[in-house]
Amino acid sequence: MRKYETVFIADPDLQDKVRIDLYEKARNIINKEGGILTGFDEWGNKKLAYEIKKKLRGNYVCITYGGSGSLVKELERNFRLNDGVLKFMTILLSDDVTAEQLEKEVQDAQDAQDESKKAAETVKEPVKADKPEEETSVEAEKVEETEVKTE
Amino acid sequence: MYNNNRTQQGQQGGGKNRFYQRRKICRFCVDKDLNIDYKTPKALRQFITERGKIIPRRITGTCAKHQRQLTVAVKQSRQIALLPFVGRPMY
Repeated sequence: MRKYETVFIADPDLQDKVRIDLYEKARNIINKEGGILTGFDEWGNKKLAYEIKKKLRGNYVCITYGGSGSLVKELERNFRLNDGVLKFMTILLSDDVTAEQLEKEVQDAQDAQDESKKAAETVKEPVKADKPEEETSVEAEKVEETEVKTE
Repeated sequence: MYNNNRTQQGQQGGGKNRFYQRRKICRFCVDKDLNIDYKTPKALRQFITERGKIIPRRITGTCAKHQRQLTVAVKQSRQIALLPFVGRPMY
């Protein structure tokens, strides 16, 4: 299996629904032809270095996937036919990759995302944990005072 | 007149018409972490002129291998409009 990277520029004026349909179509083609999608990176709207089809900004998307040459052909054919895609470029990253290596990469990317989410959550937790501790200490002091008085 | 011609040629070569030239080091050979990637136009911008042309390696000091990789990366970057073919880069 070969590892490819495709960067394509989508029309910035596309409506959200149409854009998401386009992304779904790309994903479906990859899955249908027996490829493995390892990365889907949307860079967002960026200013183009030169005009493409009279437009000055474009929505960049970078996808990495593993597959055969026929998959690339099919993907590019669809990009060519679609009016919403202004430009695309496919690059061969490596020639000899096994399916397991690619799946491992997908897993690693998922784990990294989960870890970063957990790290964000644990930062919030200590802030919350401090407050209940303060409240309980205040209550404990009050209980001690009342006990002393009753004695 | 013969002397004038020689000095003019020396200036055209960037003043390098001397016995001893300062040996420049290739910054990619020194720092293994620097990756030449077409997706980072900011990093590639150091190797193109104001007009968008690729700077020759005798001026930047990169080694031959990395200059070839740089050229490929700049040309790929131009293909997807991250760097211009002609004109000022915007970063």
